[in-house]
Amino acid sequence: MHSLKPVQTQPFQLNQQNFQQINGFEESTQAFRLRLEPIPLKPIRQESIVAAVDTSTIKIGETSQGIVIAVRGADVWKQNRAYRYVRLGPFVFHITDENKKEVYDALERSYFNYSQEHNHQGAPNFLQMPSRIASLLERWIQTMLSKTMNKGLILFDGSLTSGTPDTPTQRLKDILSTARRRGNIVLAFSKMTNLRVNGHVITDLLPRAAPPYLLETEGLRLKPPMVLLGDVYVARLTRGNCAFRLDIDKEVLPEIRIEATEKLLGNDLLSQSYPETLRLAHILCTFTANEVLAMQHFVTRRYGLQIVNRPDMHRLLFGPFGKGESYS
Amino acid sequence: MKLYKKEGNALQILSFPNETVEKGDYLLVEDAEAGRGLIVQVIDAQFASIPGVLEELLRSLPDGGELIQGEDVDPLEIAPHITYIQDASLLICKIRASIENENLSPTSSWLPSRSQSTIKKLPLPALLKLAKIDGKLPIVLGGTKDSSLLAIDASSLDGRLNIITGKKETGKSHLSKLLMVNLIGYKATVVVFDLNGEYLSLGMTGDGKRNAYYDKIHVLTPSQNFKLALKQLNLHVLLGILVHALHLPGTSAREFRRIWQALKERDALTLHELGETIRNWNCNQHVRDALFSRYHALVNSGFFTDNVAEATLLEDCLLKAKEEGSGIIINLRNTSAIDRQIVVEYVLGKLVDSLTGWKLKAVFLFAEEAHLYLRETYWDDIVTRMRHFGIFTTFITNQPDTIRENIYRQADNIFLFNFTNEHDLDVVSRAARVDAETVRSIARDLPPHHCLVLGRVVRDFPMVAKVKALDVKTMGETRLFFKDSN
Repeated sequence: MHSLKPVQTQPFQLNQQNFQQINGFEESTQAFRLRLEPIPLKPIRQESIVAAVDTSTIKIGETSQGIVIAVRGADVWKQNRAYRYVRLGPFVFHITDENKKEVYDALERSYFNYSQEHNHQGAPNFLQMPSRIASLLERWIQTMLSKTMNKGLILFDGSLTSGTPDTPTQRLKDILSTARRRGNIVLAFSKMTNLRVNGHVITDLLPRAAPPYLLETEGLRLKPPMVLLGDVYVARLTRGNCAFRLDIDKEVLPEIRIEATEKLLGNDLLSQSYPETLRLAHILCTFTANEVLAMQHFVTRRYGLQIVNRPDMHRLLFGPFGKGESYS
Repeated sequence: MKLYKKEGNALQILSFPNETVEKGDYLLVEDAEAGRGLIVQVIDAQFASIPGVLEELLRSLPDGGELIQGEDVDPLEIAPHITYIQDASLLICKIRASIENENLSPTSSWLPSRSQSTIKKLPLPALLKLAKIDGKLPIVLGGTKDSSLLAIDASSLDGRLNIITGKKETGKSHLSKLLMVNLIGYKATVVVFDLNGEYLSLGMTGDGKRNAYYDKIHVLTPSQNFKLALKQLNLHVLLGILVHALHLPGTSAREFRRIWQALKERDALTLHELGETIRNWNCNQHVRDALFSRYHALVNSGFFTDNVAEATLLEDCLLKAKEEGSGIIINLRNTSAIDRQIVVEYVLGKLVDSLTGWKLKAVFLFAEEAHLYLRETYWDDIVTRMRHFGIFTTFITNQPDTIRENIYRQADNIFLFNFTNEHDLDVVSRAARVDAETVRSIARDLPPHHCLVLGRVVRDFPMVAKVKALDVKTMGETRLFFKDSN
């Protein structure tokens, strides 16, 4: 209980979402600093395509050997004041301990043309498979975007941290360099971060300046093999208290980075400091309960699978005190 | 289809897009293991409460209300499954009967298995057969949605109180004509109080030729071809007119009785003599004034005559009708409110007379907008006393609240056309032979000329039929100012 003493009387947030997996590997060191002098931004209305990518995954059910999951990706872009999208999926997979490596390798081969011997990461463990497959699809769509767009803004969901199990450094480097060659700038927005300065989350340390602005950080070092391929900013792009961690390609000149953010302000709608294109990408790829029912219908009709409702052990054992398992 | 829920006598059934079921359809819920089934009727179809549908709809409209354009690459073709789930509907049904070994019973106490029951559409012909809605005297009302004919038995109108109601121009008069000509065809005597002259050409085809009923239709227009001589009247019929239609007080009525007796003894029952006698009668001045004012009302109506040759005997028409069946149309068009009441009072009194004396077996009376000529006390009379004499009434109205609640309660059959007004639906839903939800839900969506039939004629299985066309000359059309310019 002593650990609570230092925070007594401080605001306490309920229902905080889980941190993204990637953030678990990032640690801010003593050298990490947030420069509180805001970099003011002025929207540049010069026409630029803004494109965003997001993917999602969901467990549809369980079989006696494994799980049935679905993955879907969405690419949304704004051009000539209109939003358009391409949605890929849902792709349904049956993952078992026996086939997980085969499935993952097959997908990696078909998406990135990597032979098995180049894949040092190996197949993920069974529980990580849904997010790893979604991550593969996301990187593939990002690759395609960086290869096909010219002089646009590409928005990623998450950070530009590489060297993690689902983001090999070379793969992210390739995406960024392809994008650069075609005059595109990659802006990566993280909805959550655990980067802290003096114990405070960086997105909470907002100076009293009128938005839109960026706050620069410096001195962030990651533990090998992780490599940060972007520079980290705090972006407060609209009024209100929302700010996000924004990673921008390291190889891009600082003034170009600022200009890219200003182009984003001039070309996309922003609500709560978050770009609409990215929000739409997230909305379009997310599975609704209705779609889960439809996919269950699909697997039972097409493959004759029987969906089994496992008893909820929490409820079974603890009755009204059992909170139940969550299926997101 | 899947059984979802049962509450009271309502059943909720989950239906999928490939199963086309609509309001008014009948379903058979069969529990093979129990060897029993339920016959239910769909009274409403709603969207099934599918989780996530709101999110689905919202995300398709994020761009200021405009549909976001895009392409879905769906190699596994899951989208049709999403639509399939999203378009699932929940059918709200009412249990009409349970069935066991082809025998129907009106109970709904039994609960079929949710997991094992099969649900299928019950075609109307099959239901008509099960419910034994046939008979020797069929009247084809029209076609049902599944292209079969809905025929009721004329005997199910016999001795019954019927109501035909619906908003304007939905086909009420058309149905009443259909019932009438069929009853006449079965040699029944039909009397119509025709307020708008709609039934005058019932004996003519649409193109003005005589039809099969021409000789059986007798149109009586008061003060034209329908007049009475005092000599032909019974005192109590005339007293009925004076007291009920012309509101003659009791004291004056007693004095009138004495005057009548005196005239009768002198064999001087004429209008002229009646007027003179009232003038010279030794009685209170107020009584004389009261009698004089009613006398003038009788004279001014033009309904009474001293020329016996000119007088038409309703009784004669009724007697002719007794043998071969006929329709006697009392044309009340262009008749003032007072004169209308005089005529109606006379006709009803005469009918009761003829029926009491067994000169007639029974009469089917069709009364359009009866509140415009029927006195207060006759409503109860018609549904109780007169029914026992053999007057079987069909009320036709587009203002359901003009018919008393007790009439709805006692109505044996209701032919209901479209109503959208909540108040009107409220009134009709008080009928004892059907639940309010059925009336409200089905009647609201009835297209023109479609009729929801309730009551004994359909053995309490509410059915919707499109009333068949009738080749009779249309009368009673509304006069229009812009008719030619359209």
